[in-house]
Amino acid sequence: MSLLNYIVRRLLFMVLVLFGVSILVFGVLMLIPPGMRVAAYVTNEKVPPSAIDAMIVQYGLRDPAPIQYFRWLGKIARGDLGYSTTAEGPVLKGFIQFFPTTLELVLYATPLIIFVGVWLGTVSAVHKDEPVDHFIRVVSIVGYSLPTFWLGLLLLMFFYGFLGIFPPGVLSESLRDVIYAPGWIRVTGILTIDSIINWRWDIFLDALYHLFLPTLNLVILDSALIMRLMRSSMLDALGQDYIRTALAKGASNHTIEHIHARRNAMLPVITISGVLFAGMLAGMVITETIFVRKGIGWWMARAALQLDVSAIMFNVLFLGAVFVGVNLIVDLIYATIDPRVRLS
Amino acid sequence: MEKLIETKDLFTEFHTFEGVVKALNGVGIVVNEGETYGLVGESGCGKSVTVRSMMRIVQAPGRIVGGRVIIFFRAEDRSRGIDIVDRSEAYMTSLRGESISMIFQEASTSLNPVLSIGYQVGESFHFHRRPQMLKESIEHLDEELAGNLAPLSRRWRRMQRSLLARELREREAYDGRIDEIDRELYKLEEQEGPAVVDRKRQLNARRDSLKEHGALTGMAMRTPFIRRYRRRLERTIRGHVVDLLRSLGVSNPERIADSHPHELSGGMQQRIVIAIALACHPVLLIADEPTSNLDVTIQAQIVELIKQLKETTISSVLYITHDLGLVAEICDRGSVMYAGDVAETATVRELFKNPLHPYTRGLLHSVPKVEQVDELATIPGNVPNLIVPPSGCRFHPRCPDRMDICPKAKPPTIEYTPGHWVACHLYTDGKK
Amino acid sequence: MSDIVEQTKEQPAAHPGWREFTFSMKRLFKNPLTIIGLSIIMFFVFLAVFAPLLAPPPRPFDPYLMPHRGWDMTPSPPSAENLLGTLPSQYDILYGIIWGTRNAFRIGLTVVAANLFVGLILGAIAGYFGGIVDEIIMRIGDVFYAIPTLVLAMALVVAIGRGLQSIVIVLIILGWPTYTRVIRSEILVIRNMDFILAAKASGVSHFRIIMRHIMPNSIFSLIIVGSMNVGVTILIAAALSFLGLGSDTGYADWGAMVSTCRNFIVGPPENRLAYWYLVFIPGFTIALFVLGWNLLGDAIRDVFDPRVRRR
Repeated sequence: MSLLNYIVRRLLFMVLVLFGVSILVFGVLMLIPPGMRVAAYVTNEKVPPSAIDAMIVQYGLRDPAPIQYFRWLGKIARGDLGYSTTAEGPVLKGFIQFFPTTLELVLYATPLIIFVGVWLGTVSAVHKDEPVDHFIRVVSIVGYSLPTFWLGLLLLMFFYGFLGIFPPGVLSESLRDVIYAPGWIRVTGILTIDSIINWRWDIFLDALYHLFLPTLNLVILDSALIMRLMRSSMLDALGQDYIRTALAKGASNHTIEHIHARRNAMLPVITISGVLFAGMLAGMVITETIFVRKGIGWWMARAALQLDVSAIMFNVLFLGAVFVGVNLIVDLIYATIDPRVRLS
Repeated sequence: MEKLIETKDLFTEFHTFEGVVKALNGVGIVVNEGETYGLVGESGCGKSVTVRSMMRIVQAPGRIVGGRVIIFFRAEDRSRGIDIVDRSEAYMTSLRGESISMIFQEASTSLNPVLSIGYQVGESFHFHRRPQMLKESIEHLDEELAGNLAPLSRRWRRMQRSLLARELREREAYDGRIDEIDRELYKLEEQEGPAVVDRKRQLNARRDSLKEHGALTGMAMRTPFIRRYRRRLERTIRGHVVDLLRSLGVSNPERIADSHPHELSGGMQQRIVIAIALACHPVLLIADEPTSNLDVTIQAQIVELIKQLKETTISSVLYITHDLGLVAEICDRGSVMYAGDVAETATVRELFKNPLHPYTRGLLHSVPKVEQVDELATIPGNVPNLIVPPSGCRFHPRCPDRMDICPKAKPPTIEYTPGHWVACHLYTDGKK
Repeated sequence: MSDIVEQTKEQPAAHPGWREFTFSMKRLFKNPLTIIGLSIIMFFVFLAVFAPLLAPPPRPFDPYLMPHRGWDMTPSPPSAENLLGTLPSQYDILYGIIWGTRNAFRIGLTVVAANLFVGLILGAIAGYFGGIVDEIIMRIGDVFYAIPTLVLAMALVVAIGRGLQSIVIVLIILGWPTYTRVIRSEILVIRNMDFILAAKASGVSHFRIIMRHIMPNSIFSLIIVGSMNVGVTILIAAALSFLGLGSDTGYADWGAMVSTCRNFIVGPPENRLAYWYLVFIPGFTIALFVLGWNLLGDAIRDVFDPRVRRR
C-alpha cells in the first residue's frame, strides 16, 4: 500500500467524518426555534418585528430539516458561509480576522508543552520513587486537575492585579492603532511575525509580553498530561527485554535512558500530540475569553451565547476538520518514525 | 585447566511485595577456560539469577546480598582474581559486552524495535572499541587528505580529523586514568581492614565519576550540525558490523544491517543477538536458554554456530538450559541447580553415568526413553516457594532418600570424587 | 508418597478471588494518594449530605438559590455573616459552595454512570459481533470524537437551552465514544481467547457469553476509565457554566460563581488584591473536588491495571 494511496484514503475518510459532523451539528441547531435562527440573516439593526416572520418564510426556516440541510450544503459549496452577528460580517471575514490570534498562541504553547512534559516525564520515570519523582507526579496531577479558567484568573490576579505586569489583551492600547493603520502590512495576521515584517520591534516585544501569561497558563495545564503519559510510557519501555540486552552490552545508564528507552517511549507521546494540539484549539475558548484575546475561541464563546448560528456551525466544522487533519499528519509522522508501522 | 570465573557463596534476594524471595542460597560455580559449562534445573531454580548476579545485572528489586564473584580474565591475574561484587558500576559497564557477554531466550524482544540492526550491533564497537575505531577513521581521513580534494572538502575533512583526534586523545587520557585506578584496586584485592575498604570505595566512586571525554567534545557530539563529524566514525563501525555479520553466516549483511528487528526471522534475530554478544570477542559467553523458543532445526543451527565460535573466538561458554539432551551434546562440565542451591557439579559424563544427588537422579530418571513402556517417572511435589523456603536442604520435602538431618541443616558441598561435587547429607561423612 | 506431596503445600490456600481482592485493597490503601483523594471526596460527600444543616436554605422549595442581603454589585469580603465573602449582588459564597457540591456530584456521577452503561452495551455489541455493526458504531463514534468536546458541548447546550440539566444531557450524549472504545478493545482481545471459543463450541448462547464471560473481564477497564473521567467531566461542566451556559445568576453553581469574578480581578489601587476571595475560593473548590477524584482514579488505575499492578 503506497503512501499516496494511504493519504488519499485518509482524506476521503476525513471528508466523510466531516459530513457526519455537519449532520450532527446541523441537526442539533435545528432544535433552536426559527425565531432565533433568523438572526443569522439580519444584517442590520433596522428590521421591524413584523418583517421577521416574512424573513423566516423567505429563508425557509420552517421547512423540513433535510431540505434545510441540503440548502445549507449548497450554499457552502458556493462559498457562502453565512453571516455572523458576533463578527459583524461574513463568517469568512471573521475567520480571517480571528484565526491568526489563536494560531499564534498555539504555535508558542505547543512546543513548550511537549518539551516540558517530555523532559519532566523522563526525569520522573528515571528517578522512580525518589523524591523528584513524587514531586513531579504531584505537580502533574494537580496541574491536571486545575480548571483552565481558574488558573488563568489566578495568574491574572497575581501578575496583573497585584504586580501590574502582563496585562490581558493582545497588544497595549497605544500600539493597537498601528495595526489598523493603513501603513501596516498584514501578511499572516500573527503579530509576532507581522511585526518583524513591518520592522516594528516594539510591537514584537509588546506582543510577546502579552503572550506570556496565556502561554504559561496553557503550559502548566497541558504539560501535566504529557508528563504523566511520558512517565508511564518510559516505565513501560524500561521494563522491556531490549533494555536488558543493552545493559548486558555494557551500555551506560545515560545511553539506556535516552536512546533505547526514550525513543520507544516517545511514540505514544507523538500520537497524543495530535490530540493535544487539536484539543488546545478548543481549550482556547476559555483561555481567550479570560485573557481577552480575540481569536476563534473567543468568537465561539460569544457566538454560543448570542446564538449566532452561522458562526457556531462554521467553528464546529472548522475545528473538526483541524482535528481530523492533525490526526492524519500525526499518523504520517508516526509512520515515518516507527519502523514497525506499515501504512495499510 | 585454569579457572576463568568463579562464584563463592553467592546470596541474592528479591524484596517483593509478597516478601523476600531468597533466590540464591550460597551458589558456588566454577567455569574454566575453554570449556562449555552447562547449568541445568527446573524453571525458577535460580539459573538465570545466578548468571545475572555474575554480570551484576540482576533486575530490581533484586540485590546481591552476599558472596563473591571472582574473575580471572587477564594473564597476570591467573593466581588471584578480581572480586567484582563491590566494583564500581563504571567498571562493570566496561566489562559487560567486552569480557563477558550474554544472550537471552527471546531474541525477538531482545532487540530494540526502533533501532536498526546495524546500529544495535555497532553499539558494542562504540562502547568497547572506541579508540581503535577512532584511529581507523583518522587513518581513512588521512588517506583521503593525501589525495586530490576540492578545498571545501579538504577543509571539512581536516575539521573532522581534528575533532576525531581530539576525541581520541581525551579517550586515551581517560583510559590511562582508569588503568591507574584499576591497578591500585587490584593491589588492594587481597588486603583487608577498614582503611582498605575506605580507599576502595573512594577509588570506585572516582572511577564512576570520570568522564570519557571533555566538555567541549561532549557539546560537539550533541550539536545537530557539527555532530556530523561522527559520521566517519559511524561508517567505520558499520564496516566492522558488516564483516562481523558476514563471518556469522549472514547472507547479504549490508541489507540486514539497514533493516529492523521485526523484518527478520526468529533464527536470524538470534544470530544478530549472538553477533552483538560476540562483537568484541568476549572471554566468556553466557547463553540463557537461547534456543528454548526456536524449533529444532533452528536450534541445531544455533548450537552448531556456538560450537564453531567456541573454537575460534570465545574461550568459554556458560550454557543455561533445562534440556538435558542438549547438555549431553555440547557441554563439558555442568551443575544441577535446585531452588537456589547447587545440588551437584561434575563433568557431563559423570553426571549422566553416576548421578549422586537424589534430585539429579530424579531428573535423569524422568527423561522419557524410547524403549520405556511403563509410567513416566516424575519427582513428586512442586518447586518450593522461595519466600518461605524449606529449612535445611531445600530439596528435602520431595526427596525419596530423606534422612532426619535433612530438614535441620543445609548440606555442605563436598568433593565426593575428584572433580565431582555434591551437596547432600547422604555423602557428607565421606561415604554413602 | 502422599505425605511428601502434603508437605509441599506451604499454607492453606485462600480462595484466589478473595486473595486478589485483599491484595487490591491493601495496595489501594497503602498508597498515600488514595487516602488523600478519598478524604477529599469524603469531605465533599459530607458537605453534600449535610447541606441543609450546614447552610439552611432561605427558600426551602428552591435550595439552590443563594441567599443575599442587598443588591450591592461589589462583592463583600469575608465577615461574620458571610464566612467566605460574597459574590457581586451579595450572594453568600459559603452557601454556594455547600449547595454547589450537590450539583457537582450529581453532574459527575450521573454523566459517568450513564456513559458507562451506554458504553458497556454499545461496546459489547460492537466488539462481540464485529462486522458491519462494529463499523457503524465506530464510525458514528468517530464523528463525535472528531470535534473537541467543549466546542460541541457549547453548540448543543445552546440548542437545547441552558442550565445544568442540559449540561448533563449533553455530556452524556457526547461522552459515550470513549467508553465504547475501551470496552470494544477489551472485548476484541478476549473474544478470541480460548475460553470463549470453548463456550461457543459448547453451544452457549451469545447473550450468556457476553454477560457471564466477557463482561466480568472487561469491568476493570471500565472502573479505571470511569474513575479517571469523573474529574474531566466536572471540569467541562464547570467550563460550560463559566461561559454562561449553566445556571442563571444566583444559583449555586461553582462554574457560574467563578465567572462572576471577571470584573473584579483587580481591586482598587490601594488594595489590588481586594477581591482575592472571589477569584480564589470557588475555583479552588472545583480544583479540590477534581483533584480528589483524579487521585482516587489514579490509585484505582495503579492497582487494577494489569500492566502496573505488580510493579
